[in-house]
Order: sequence, then C-alpha cells, then structure tokens
Amino acid sequence: MDVTLPKLAEGADSGTVVNILVVEGDPVQVDQTLLELENEKAVAPIPSTGNGRVARVHVDVGQVVSVGQVLVTIDEDRAARAPAAPAPSPAAEPAAPTTPAAPPEVPQEAQVHISGSGAPPAASPTVRKIARELGIDLTRVKGSQRGGRIVMADVRGYIQGLQQLALKPAAPAAEPVVDVFQTLDLTKWGPAKRERMSPLRRTIAQRMTESWTTVPHVTQFDDADITGLMELRKRYAKAYEKAGARLTVTSFAIKAAVSALDKYPAFKTSVDYQALEIVTRDYVHIGVAVDTEAGLIAPVIRDADKKDLLSLSVELDELAERTRQRKLSADEMQGATFTISNLGSIGGSYFTPIVNSPQVAVLGMGRGVQRPMVRDKKVALRMVLPLALSYDHRVIDGADGARFLREIVRCLEDYPEAEIKWPVS
Amino acid sequence: MDPIQTEIVVVGAGPGGYAAAFYAADMGKRVLLVERDERLGGVCLNRGCIPSKALLHATHVIDEAALSEARGVAFGKPKVKLEKLRQWKGAVIEKLAKGLDGLCSRRGVRRLHGRGHFEDSHTLRVETAEGQQFVSYDKAIIAVGSKPAMPAAFDLGNRRIMTSTEALELEDIPGRLLVVGGGYIGMELGMVYARLGSDIVLVEALNNLLSGVDADLVRPVAKAAEKLFKEIRLKTKVLSMATSGRKIKVAMEVNGARREETYDRVLVSVGRTPSYEDLGLENTGVRIGANGFIECNDQQQTDDPAIYAIGDANGGALLAHRATKEARVAVEVIAGESSTIADVVIPAVVFTEPEVAWCGLTEQEAKAGDVPVEIVKLPWGASGRALTLDRTEGLTKLIVEPETERILGVGITGAGAGELIGEGVLAIEMGATARDLAESVHPHPTLSETLMECAELFYGTATHAPPRKRPRGNGREAAGQDTRTHA
Repeated sequence: MDVTLPKLAEGADSGTVVNILVVEGDPVQVDQTLLELENEKAVAPIPSTGNGRVARVHVDVGQVVSVGQVLVTIDEDRAARAPAAPAPSPAAEPAAPTTPAAPPEVPQEAQVHISGSGAPPAASPTVRKIARELGIDLTRVKGSQRGGRIVMADVRGYIQGLQQLALKPAAPAAEPVVDVFQTLDLTKWGPAKRERMSPLRRTIAQRMTESWTTVPHVTQFDDADITGLMELRKRYAKAYEKAGARLTVTSFAIKAAVSALDKYPAFKTSVDYQALEIVTRDYVHIGVAVDTEAGLIAPVIRDADKKDLLSLSVELDELAERTRQRKLSADEMQGATFTISNLGSIGGSYFTPIVNSPQVAVLGMGRGVQRPMVRDKKVALRMVLPLALSYDHRVIDGADGARFLREIVRCLEDYPEAEIKWPVS
Repeated sequence: MDPIQTEIVVVGAGPGGYAAAFYAADMGKRVLLVERDERLGGVCLNRGCIPSKALLHATHVIDEAALSEARGVAFGKPKVKLEKLRQWKGAVIEKLAKGLDGLCSRRGVRRLHGRGHFEDSHTLRVETAEGQQFVSYDKAIIAVGSKPAMPAAFDLGNRRIMTSTEALELEDIPGRLLVVGGGYIGMELGMVYARLGSDIVLVEALNNLLSGVDADLVRPVAKAAEKLFKEIRLKTKVLSMATSGRKIKVAMEVNGARREETYDRVLVSVGRTPSYEDLGLENTGVRIGANGFIECNDQQQTDDPAIYAIGDANGGALLAHRATKEARVAVEVIAGESSTIADVVIPAVVFTEPEVAWCGLTEQEAKAGDVPVEIVKLPWGASGRALTLDRTEGLTKLIVEPETERILGVGITGAGAGELIGEGVLAIEMGATARDLAESVHPHPTLSETLMECAELFYGTATHAPPRKRPRGNGREAAGQDTRTHA
C-alpha cells in the first residue's frame, strides 16, 4: 500500500520533508511516524496507515510534497490490514496555517533531474557555461532533446518560468520575491556549504523584509529601575511556584504593556494603506518572541488585559515550551496587538527590534544590570532594565512613542504589590 | 633591482604555463612568465610528448616497411642513421620552440629566465643569470609540471640507467634494453628502441600492461608488444641494479623467483613526481596532498588565495592538454569569470602501435562504481578502411547510459585512435546520444565509420556487422549479452 500525504488542515496543501524516520526494509506499524513534514511554522509527523515493511521511500529530505503524493510504499502484513487511511491523529494534529504556504509555483524548482549513472546533466559546454554564469543549476532544468539533453531553449524557458514567479505580485504568504538572477558564489573565497532555506526561515525573511521596507521605524530607548519589582518578585516567587508558574520579568512587562496600550490606543492600530484607513483593535493580544532551534517564533497570549499575573505566567510558560517543541497551531501564532521581545536571558542591553507588521510597535528588553543611581539625593545601587520601543512612525508620532515607553517604565517601577499578591493569596 | 610588479606571474612554461601566460595576456593582464629552462615548452616539448612522438613516427615506418613486403612492395633492410634521426627530432623541437618565442613576444608577455622561489604569498624570488630578481604579483599560477620518478635504489648516477629524458636523447641503440614499468612511457619508448633493433625485456610489477586502461583496449597492444619485444614479464619486481663495466647488472623477482641478468641499458619508467621542490611553497599557504601533489579545487585555487596551480604539479592524469585546459580555467577564474574544470572530459592517448585512446567513463570505472551502463563494441575486422590499411587489430567501443542512451565513454584501440578520439570527446561534451552518433553520416571508407557503426550496433543493427543477438529494448540485460557476436 502507498502512504500518501493527507490533507493536514484547511489550506495546507504542501510541505517540505524535514526528516525521514524509516528506511527501506524497516518494519512499521499503524500510526508509527514515517516522516516529518514542515509546513510554514509547524512540523507535522506523518504516520503509517498500515502494518508491514517499508518497501520504498519515495521522497527525500528537503523535497516539497503536496497532498495526495505518494510518500512511502509499505508491503503490508496480510493479517493486519489497517482501516482505510485515517487522517493524522488529533494529538499529532499539526498547525493549520490560516495563511497557507504557497504551493511551489515553479514545479521544476523542486524537481531535480539526475540520471541513473550520476553523470552531469547532458548539455553542451556552451550551455553549461551560460548556466554557470547565470548561477543556474542544470540538474533543475528539464532537457527537451534526445536523452534529456538541455539546449539553450530549455534554459531560456526555465529562466522565463523563474522570472514569472519572481514578478508575481506577492500574495500574503507567497514566496518572498527573490532576485533569482543574482548569483551568490562564496566558494570563490573558500569552502562554503549550501542548504535550502526552511519554510520557517523563508517566512521570517519575507516578513522582516516586508516590515523593514514598508514601515518607517523609530526606536526609542529608556531605562526602568526594577529594584523594587525584583524585591517583590523574590517575595512572591515561592508562592507562584507552588501555583505552577515562574514569575518572570516578561510577565510583568506584559502587564505593563497592557496598561500602556490601554492609555495610548494608537499602539493598538494597523495601517490599511490601500484603503487609507487606520484600524484600531478592541482587544489586547500580546505576542512574545521565543527563540527556537529553527528560528524565531512569536506565540500569542490572547486577551492579556483580562488575565491576572498568575494566569499570564502559567500561559507564558506553557506556550513557550510548546513553541520550542514546534507544536503550536497557526492560530496561536497570529493576531497579536503588540509584541514583546525579551533578550534578557541571553544578555546585552538596547537593541532595535523590527515591528512585526501589521502591528505598529514592539518592545525590546535587554538584561537588567546593577548600576549606581541617584535616589533621594544619594547614590544607590539599583537594578536597571534597558528598554527599546520600535514603532511605526506613519501612525505614531515621536511624542507618543516617548509617552508610551514612559508609561511602561512607570508600570514596572511602581508595580502594585496587591496585583502580585491576590492571585496567590 | 626593484621588484618587478605584475598582475600575474606564471611559474613554469610548459603547455600549462605558456597557455596560461598567453591567455592572460590576451585578456589584457600584465603577465610575467618564469622558466628555468632556456627554452619554452616544458617537458612536453623538450623531453616528452613531442620528441617521443617524432621518434615513434620515424621508427613506425620500419615496421610498416617490413609488413609491406607481404603486400607486394619491398624496401629492403632499413639503414638507421642515428645522428640524422637525432637532428631531425631536434629540428622539430627547435621549430616549435621558436614558434612559442614568437607567440610570447608578440603578446608582450614578459619572460624571466631562472628558478622561482616563493618568499611569501605575494613575492617570488627568481634566481637569474644576472642575480636575484624579486617579483611582486597579485596572483601566481604554479605550472611547474613533473619529472620522471627515479627510485633511490636505481639511482646509481650511471647514465646507462635512463629515465624517459635520457632515453629520448637516443645516445645509442643498446643491444639489450631493460624497460622497467609497463605504463605508457615504457610501452612507447620500448617500441621505439625495439624497432631500432634493441632486444627489449619489459618488466611490470602488476599483472597487466597499461594498468588502468580497459582490458579489451589493451589486448591488441599487448599482442603487438609481445611480437616486437623479446620478452614481457608481468608480476616482476626489480630488486637492485649495479654497474658492471659498461653494463648494468639487474636482480629481479619474476613470479617469486630471483633472477640476475645484465643489460646494456635500463629505462626506468615507473611514474612521475611533481617538480615543486625548492619552489618555497612552505612560505605560502599552498597545501600538499597526501599523494604528494599540490591540492587545489575545481577552480584551480590552492589553499593560498593568491596562488593557483595547474597541470602535472596537481597530480591526476598527467597530460599536457589537461594542463592547457586548467590554464584557461585558472585565468578565467582570476579574471572573475565563472569557470570550472569539473565535468570537463579529458581524453587520454597512448601512442603505441596500435594506439589506444579513451575518454569519459571507462568500463573499469563503471564496474567499480556500479554505474549501470550498456557497452557496445565493434572490432575493426568489419571495417573496410582497416582492411585496406592492413590494420584490423583495432576495436571501437561505446559506453552508453541505458535510460537516456547518452554516450558516457568512448574507447578506441587501433591505427590513428588518437585522432579518432576527438569525436568521442565532442560527443560526450555535447551530451550526444548513441542515436546522434549513429545518424551523423561518416565518410567511407574511413576508420571514423567505426564510431557510427558502433552506435548503430547499440540499436541492434549496423550495416557492416551481423545484428546483435538481442535487439535493444531489453534494457540492461542486453548489456552483458554478447556484444562481440558480430566479430
């Protein structure tokens, strides 16, 4: 029997094979994971639909596969025939990206033509030279001539295909528009390794480029004296631990952001440039950047304004853990009003975060350090937290930016003890 | 003296070095060509390809004349005037060297006669007759080539123990000549001396002649050598040599048994070693590989960003035309073009009689690498041209990729195989299929027809050969199936 790619979720028609867990000849059972597929921001296991032995693996790591494509052929044990192909079990249900990864527009992009003998592509030295100069990998070009020989017309057709792809208006989640004609050859200067961009990396690259090129950024810096806050935290850490939460600076920062967003609603907006309208959200969802092995992902805490410090801390912990395991649903990664990026655990002070468009602001936190400061006309050692607020200068003026960040600082410096106390009392 | 400033310095003026210098000059670069020999041309012109081919041609006529008697045209016994033969050979070299001088000066390539030594990655010191001269350059191309290997045990300082260099000088015609090594140099020069009248004993450590070449291509040459030489001893190791008056006493182990014999001369042709000693490579970032040759990548770049290396000094197939191609790659890479030696087809020719030539994938390599191929062979017994030349010992074979029918390799043994192989190179480089070759009309009667008919045979039927037992269509099964039934 053939194991084909099931429909993973609405709109998710394809994915990239990132891991193959079986080899030909391996015994497998129903629901045993055969391979893992990466689809935009989630990794989904593809389970076996039968018992038996792997007769053939049809795909390679890095290959883009689409729904219905045969992935693995299994020689079934006659005694134990599995019921007709079930969808992946709910536990393994992968993310359902609401903005699906675009299926590869140029199918030959993923198609590599390598002959049985492993000989290089059949093409004349002239064609090979031109391909080298243009940085075109001839194994990706389908030859039209006898024996699969590639002629100039084939290369031309391939380039036209790439160009059409490159010129296509960028759909919300289309492939980033890459200058396909630019050759990057680093091997001129020394050994270098090439690997395909993962779908996550492509998404990040595309979003960052989009935001950086469309949003006029301003970054405002400030310091919060969190000496008092740290004392409070120390006092209540045990109680929170008992209640199953780690009390972190990030949780306090979420609270502070909620308060500032409430005071300055301009930070809850987005720009609809086509309609020339400004849209203000009536909800406060906070995205928190999490560093994972594969890259940066920002899960979203819903309705942060309606949650107390304990529930926020619990949710933050749990969300971060699932993010690292890449077990988030697409919903959980979208729809934030505002984003917080805390690099304090790594170190460093101020940095200039990039606004996660269509949001209009992002708060960056560095590491708190002890610093001598003047307090009540005396020099005292204080714990100081470096903060950076980047905002979209199209909708937020400098004065508002400064006010918003001041409000966050104020919240962190005068954090009411009662608010910390009551959830655990 | 102030250091000479140049964009490119090329060290060594063999077929790699002068090609690099000329090409770079044609591209508008300032080039300095450093050569320790008086003459340009390197080993190829002065002590290799050219003199050996001159002698091979001159002496081949002796064989031809003898065979001619059976065809009704007799010449009588040839008289060899060694002095005149040497002069003619020298004149060929001289003419080509003069030509190179002219090409060099017309391009404005500056020459420096002396030994080069790298002081650091951007400075070359050259020991000239007028003293030291320093050269400061952007890029250097090492093209110092190789020289015959002489194992220390044989290196007695006796000029009767020769390498190819001395053998090509043709000092005399020894009565008994021992040739150590059955590679292409031993076979070629053994044939020259045999025709001139020497009794040749050729010994080879391995179990076959021309090791590395497909056995079916070697067979006709081995047969010819057996006729021409007094003796061929395989699996034989030379243990020691000693001077004994005007002769050389040689001890060897033949199939495990020790033997001692005396020879008038010995030719040691057991391989070649790179000529980069005293080049000062230790002062640069150039790395030497485990095999003793310079390491470089497909762009001819060594580990030192300022230094490129081409030709024999890098190891691999020690062939002049490979060096020339690598010269072009190196210069193009220096000029910022994207160029590579990867996947370039380098043909090889052994100029014995019959000649052996091959290019692309060999049958041996296909077997060793478990590459699925189909092999078609056309013995020349079927060729009208071979019969009229009285040279039917030849063989043409194609190595074809079954699924695409692309030609991956070509092997030819026979008269003029070296000239014929060019078509094979073109076919592989162009990605031609057996059909392309079969449908290109070749003139009759010529030996080039064997390539076309061999390709026809791939499809089961060639005009001048009986059909293959199993016509094509059975895929790989047909491959092992006898391809020689048409003989």
